[in-house]
Amino acid sequence: MTATVAPPRRPTSATRPARRPRPTYRWSARGFALPAVLVVALLLYLPFVWTSYLSLTEYNGLGDPELVGLAKYSEMLTDAGFLNSLLNTVYWVVGTLVLPVGLGLLVAVLAYGLKGSFWYRLPFLLPYAISGVAVGVIWTFVLQTGGALDEALALLGVTDPPRWLLDAPLNTFVMIGAATWQGAGVNALLFTIGLQSIPREPLEAARLDGASGWTMFRTMTWPMLTPLTTVVVGLSIVGSLKQFDIIWAMTKGGPGVSSETLALTMYKETFVNNDYGLGAAVAVFLTVVTVAASVLYLRRQLSGAKEL
Amino acid sequence: MKRTRILAGATAASLALGLAACSSADDGGGEGGDATLGFYTDKAAWEPSFDAMNEVSGAEGKTLDFTGYSDTTAYDSFIKQSFRTKKVPDLFTWHTGPSLGELVDQNLVAETTDLWTQAEADGLVPEGLKDNYTYGGKQYCVPLNVAYWAVYYNKKVFADHGIEVPTTFEELMAAAEKLKAADVTPFHQMNIIFEFAWFQALLAGNAPDTYQGLQTGDASYLDPEVVEVMDQWKQMIDDGYYNDPGVTTDPQTLLKNGDVAMAYFGTFLSGQLTEVGAKSGEDYGIFPMPSMNPASGGQMVLETGPLCVGKGSENEQAALDYSAWWMSDEAQKTWSDERGEVSFNPHVKVDDPEQQKLVDAATSDDTTVQQRYLEANPLPVYTLSTEIFGDFVTNAPDPMPGLQRLQGEADTYWADQG
Repeated sequence: MTATVAPPRRPTSATRPARRPRPTYRWSARGFALPAVLVVALLLYLPFVWTSYLSLTEYNGLGDPELVGLAKYSEMLTDAGFLNSLLNTVYWVVGTLVLPVGLGLLVAVLAYGLKGSFWYRLPFLLPYAISGVAVGVIWTFVLQTGGALDEALALLGVTDPPRWLLDAPLNTFVMIGAATWQGAGVNALLFTIGLQSIPREPLEAARLDGASGWTMFRTMTWPMLTPLTTVVVGLSIVGSLKQFDIIWAMTKGGPGVSSETLALTMYKETFVNNDYGLGAAVAVFLTVVTVAASVLYLRRQLSGAKEL
Repeated sequence: MKRTRILAGATAASLALGLAACSSADDGGGEGGDATLGFYTDKAAWEPSFDAMNEVSGAEGKTLDFTGYSDTTAYDSFIKQSFRTKKVPDLFTWHTGPSLGELVDQNLVAETTDLWTQAEADGLVPEGLKDNYTYGGKQYCVPLNVAYWAVYYNKKVFADHGIEVPTTFEELMAAAEKLKAADVTPFHQMNIIFEFAWFQALLAGNAPDTYQGLQTGDASYLDPEVVEVMDQWKQMIDDGYYNDPGVTTDPQTLLKNGDVAMAYFGTFLSGQLTEVGAKSGEDYGIFPMPSMNPASGGQMVLETGPLCVGKGSENEQAALDYSAWWMSDEAQKTWSDERGEVSFNPHVKVDDPEQQKLVDAATSDDTTVQQRYLEANPLPVYTLSTEIFGDFVTNAPDPMPGLQRLQGEADTYWADQG
């Protein structure tokens, strides 16, 4: 009888006790990371710190900023124009959640599974290839007084159409419509990817249990789309808070300041009115709102997902 | 060893980035004599005209190295930033009024008092133009150009409806009424950029002293003369005398096509009308805006843009020499011919008789030349006015709340000035 003794095996990574990296390695890693950290600090953190500082100053872009404490924030919060911009920004956030996201979801769900569904989605996707400014110019031709829409309405006997780009808040609403024309397609594409990633088995099981149509969507598809919806809604909130190009191309925030959003107010106060302090205060406010909205929304959604 | 090299490399990279971002202005100066001058402007489309000027100024040994911007906001930011670097522009175009005042306050532009004294002695500048360039009793920059604000009209539309060129405000209103009755829009106006135009036209003619008083804090937006003007303006809007401000077609095209019969603009519109194929004297004419109050006499609003020398720039003295040359008869004749626009130099006659009539009117004894509203008023008040007048042009609301807001802003501004 011979007994065989297995040779001692080398410990695997799973069995090996974790070792702390050698100090030399740690220093090398920091050395490699340092240039990137410096670039990020220089290009992202430093401008924000500088902008925050400017928001506490009176500054016209020349000479040295003069510290005025929170005066610019006080001026901002008591300015009727700012409050109007805030309201318009809320319209944009709500509007782009309801329209581009809702329409994108509708297109994705209705086209999903159909033969040749790509061709149904394609027309919605094409405007996404156009820049925001070009979208603004196109829709200005359509919506200006005596423009394409007014001409079309005149053929139908409407001789006194609304002043699409002149009356507030109608001008903001029609610009949200233009943004929907551009943005719904990409949302439809994202939702389609989400639909494709849903496993078939639970849906089959639900179908066997008699679920179909709206019940199937409400109880099965929609909850399983949650991760993708979180991304789409998150992007939509951030995008709408900093909406600029379409509005600038279509109304420049006017007439007066009637269609300004916070992003336009920030730009106009800084570069048109040369009040860098006030522009910086609006920029800080907008940044805080955008980051807070994103963090709160994502934290809520992601903690909900963990519980699932 | 390796670690040391990596850290050293990273530190060197960050230092290089830091140093690149931290260059600062130094004292330039430079000598006169032959030079190629760095020249910056927001009038990118005017490059051919400046090329033509180079052909003439080249004989004097000075030419411009042209850099043009087409976006004024981006250009203004660029110029302001340039004063924080070593590359202070030799010559650059800017804006009169508070914008130039800011540069003067920061000691960023070279003084031109001697140039103005000589130009006045030689009769190269009209009386009163100097006021646009005077800060604290000294002059800064020289005029790049001027534009007189007047009423352009479509000659065919006037002829078709038997309308003579109005010489009084009453005649102007009668012409408007006649055109309106014939379903022709009498006047052009816009709710952006030039939303102040008709306020300026009416107030300068109704109460010249009040128009000037608003610029100095001696008059109020709530004064009866101002309210009268706003009521008149509102009446004209309500009567349908203006085009719909939602129309985004260029004013020159609207005027050329007869979509509007008249447009109150600066003489820069002549160049734009030429670009769309309209001929002065044949397709369109120009007349001075009649004063709303005949007792005010003739009133002509003048707009002027400055050509400035960066203080401490590399070729400061040569740039000042160029500025002096710019005001000369030779330079201004070339410029006027090239641009097809009036010159500030009284010795230079513009080839366009319609514009020359304006110059003659402006320099006559019974006409007062006023500054344009945009440049003449404090920046915060003008900024608010774009909102108030933009809304007024669009919706013609009750003018009083807007006037009260404007006066509130003016009160705050003048209180700050002590």
